[in-house]
Amino acid sequence: MVGMFVAYWAVTLSGLHPYLALILVIPIMFFFGYYLQDIVIKPIFKAEKDVREPITVIIVTTGLWYILDNLTLLIFGPQYRNIQDNPLRGKMLEIGGMFISVPKLWGFSAAILTALAIYWFLQRTRMGRAIRATSLDRDAASLMGIKQYKVYNIAFGIGTAAAGIAGVTLVPFYNVFPSVGVLFDIKGFIIVVLGGLGSISGAILGGMIIGVIESVGPQFMTATWTEGIVYALFLLVLFVKPSGLFGVRYDW
Amino acid sequence: MTRENFQKLSAALLLIVSFGLPLVLRSPTYLHILILLYLYAYLTTSWNLVGGFAGVLPLGHAAFFGIGAYTSTVLFLQYGISPWIGMVLGGIMASIVGVIIGLPTFKMRGAYFALATIAFGEGMRVMVENIDYLGPFNLNGPRGLQIPPLNVGLANLMFVNKEPYYYIILIMLIAVLMLTYTISCSKLGYYLNAGGEEPEAAKALGVNVARCKLIAMAMSSFLTALAGVFYAQLTLFIHPKSVISLDLSFEIAFIALIGGRGSIAGPVLGALLLRPVSDFSRIYFGHILPGLHLIIFGTVLILVMIFQPRGLQEPLTKAYHRLLDRLTENPTEKE
Amino acid sequence: MKILEVKNLVKNFGGLRAVDDLSLTIEEGQILGLIGPNGAGKSTAFNCIAGVYPPSDGEVYFFGEKINNHNPWDLCKKGLARTFQIVKPFASKTVLYNVTVGGYVHTEKRAKAEEKALEVLKYIDLYDKKDMKAGKLTIADRKRLEIARALATGPKLLLLDEVMAGLRPTEVDKMVEIIKDLRDNGITFFVIEHIMRAIMALSDRIVVIHYGQKISEGRPEEIASDERVIKAYLGEEYGVS
Repeated sequence: MVGMFVAYWAVTLSGLHPYLALILVIPIMFFFGYYLQDIVIKPIFKAEKDVREPITVIIVTTGLWYILDNLTLLIFGPQYRNIQDNPLRGKMLEIGGMFISVPKLWGFSAAILTALAIYWFLQRTRMGRAIRATSLDRDAASLMGIKQYKVYNIAFGIGTAAAGIAGVTLVPFYNVFPSVGVLFDIKGFIIVVLGGLGSISGAILGGMIIGVIESVGPQFMTATWTEGIVYALFLLVLFVKPSGLFGVRYDW
Repeated sequence: MTRENFQKLSAALLLIVSFGLPLVLRSPTYLHILILLYLYAYLTTSWNLVGGFAGVLPLGHAAFFGIGAYTSTVLFLQYGISPWIGMVLGGIMASIVGVIIGLPTFKMRGAYFALATIAFGEGMRVMVENIDYLGPFNLNGPRGLQIPPLNVGLANLMFVNKEPYYYIILIMLIAVLMLTYTISCSKLGYYLNAGGEEPEAAKALGVNVARCKLIAMAMSSFLTALAGVFYAQLTLFIHPKSVISLDLSFEIAFIALIGGRGSIAGPVLGALLLRPVSDFSRIYFGHILPGLHLIIFGTVLILVMIFQPRGLQEPLTKAYHRLLDRLTENPTEKE
Repeated sequence: MKILEVKNLVKNFGGLRAVDDLSLTIEEGQILGLIGPNGAGKSTAFNCIAGVYPPSDGEVYFFGEKINNHNPWDLCKKGLARTFQIVKPFASKTVLYNVTVGGYVHTEKRAKAEEKALEVLKYIDLYDKKDMKAGKLTIADRKRLEIARALATGPKLLLLDEVMAGLRPTEVDKMVEIIKDLRDNGITFFVIEHIMRAIMALSDRIVVIHYGQKISEGRPEEIASDERVIKAYLGEEYGVS
């Protein structure tokens, strides 16, 4: 949601092409996430160092989410917004008798590019390896000289930056309003569970599956049943293969 | 006076005051505020069974509230079945749903469990919002269901004045508090606490952690559904955004957390402290700054979690004990 | 009679064979010690027996019953209890509460569970600390709490996982006494230990494993002079030929 708002204002105020606005959005979102983690969440991590499952962090993050959503509501009001003269809006590309929406095509490419970039980052760079190491065992990683908290901050920053990119891709064709985040949050979670935690290819595949269900579904049945199928699938995966399609068999 | 007697006396006094309040306070507005206060105290105490004792963070409890509300309302409107029976049926339905959701999700780590409950809560809301008819039952989608105020009386849980509602919810609250207390002293309570704190050790000591959590969930969802029925009969109008809302789930969880989950007094304390804030900011700031009370909640939550993770009940209970020491004969042993 | 029988136990973690064809038996009233260099597979074997994870192959019999895929809590009810190498007290609860959790195994009533708990606490000399929060205990007391909890479940076989680690010599001796006393009162023990002083004093028989395999078995004196054992612990050069 924050990503979308930042993108929205970046474009509206500067008149830039939405994808050019990425230059602004990515760093803003990254530092937003980085410092959020650093200032608010780090103290709790430190206090709960020995607990295997720092549940307070989840509570605080939820609180943050809540504050952000309502603060945005307060400041910007509940109305739906969309970019006025939008170079991408409503444009269609005709390929062999099928109409493909241009902004969604951009979105698709952006998603793939972002996924590839993050994958490359995690596999090839030093910081990426540090992040993976910390996720497996944070004490062992810190004994290897990896600064735990820096890793968390950066990982969080990347997450928010990616959310910012998602925001930019959505802004051309989706309305912006304070509680827009919730829907994507939930779908995102379902997709990640479906595809398998920790697996980027799983996430993409999961996203495609859900995306297909949601686009094809309404052709044959009401919106409710489409939702119902998504949730039923979610439940099924949880029961049958909680680690998802490509997930690693974690201790959950 | 001894400690025990003092505590018994204060409890008795509290009961007398709470039962006598409607005789003194005649304004329906104030009564309504109190009714909602008790309702939230009830909801948070029920939530506490899973969120406090079992040690996980369920953020979708509004779904059970809604199941209760819808079940009894639909049955009442279409078949004339009394809401009291609706309570039982709604509670059972909620329990079943709770267990189905609990089975796979309890295995998850904290964050994922929380997200999963949010997902299910929202999923339910979206589905109810989009359904008009579920089989023979008319759910009326986003327009909601309205109960016409005919046939008032105890049998139909419908009254013209606020007083009867007040007493009903007060009794429900007392009942649920007593239930929580009994559980905390029982085998289930010990097992839940053990399983929530150190599941591996608990299992080695004979605790079937998963089963205990499911039992707690079944109870919690049942009780929450009862509150949903009460609410439906109080406001005589329900629709998805009011009874299956994420805001409600969050508010319940937040109040319980701020007050202190895992303790018996915590959720009630939280409700006592926070509901007035919520009402106050809604009444006075509602139109200028919508959602302000939620921001306040969120901020208070974060602050409390950083400084008093066990909730505000911890310093308050300590202060209470110190007060007792001064007023009574037997001082507590210093730890 | 044979309380515990392990036959050809194998446990694989992906490509790593942590326990390789391990077989042993424990008679009633015995104290069997399990020793071996770090990473030899001792705790893994314990966890397979105690139901934490299922064996990849082989069988485990408790009182003649095959218990391969049983859950830890079912095993506990059957009389198989265990302690953890890294102690896991319920830190926010009192000592009495902790032990009472164990006491509930064979009863539904709090009074009975507490009674059993107090009995155990008196026996193991933790009674005067019963109202202390478990998180505030010293490591020696926490180890005793760990045993106390397991004892409250009324076990017939108790698996102790490095229960002496971190204790001073006087504390070690005291613990050895407690265990021997418990054995005289009818509990069979299976003990993993690194502290030689303890394991030699305690055990009737010792099994030595290395890289998941049993390399020796016998009475403590036999083991102490067994060349294979010496080599495993101290390295090839130290074998007395």
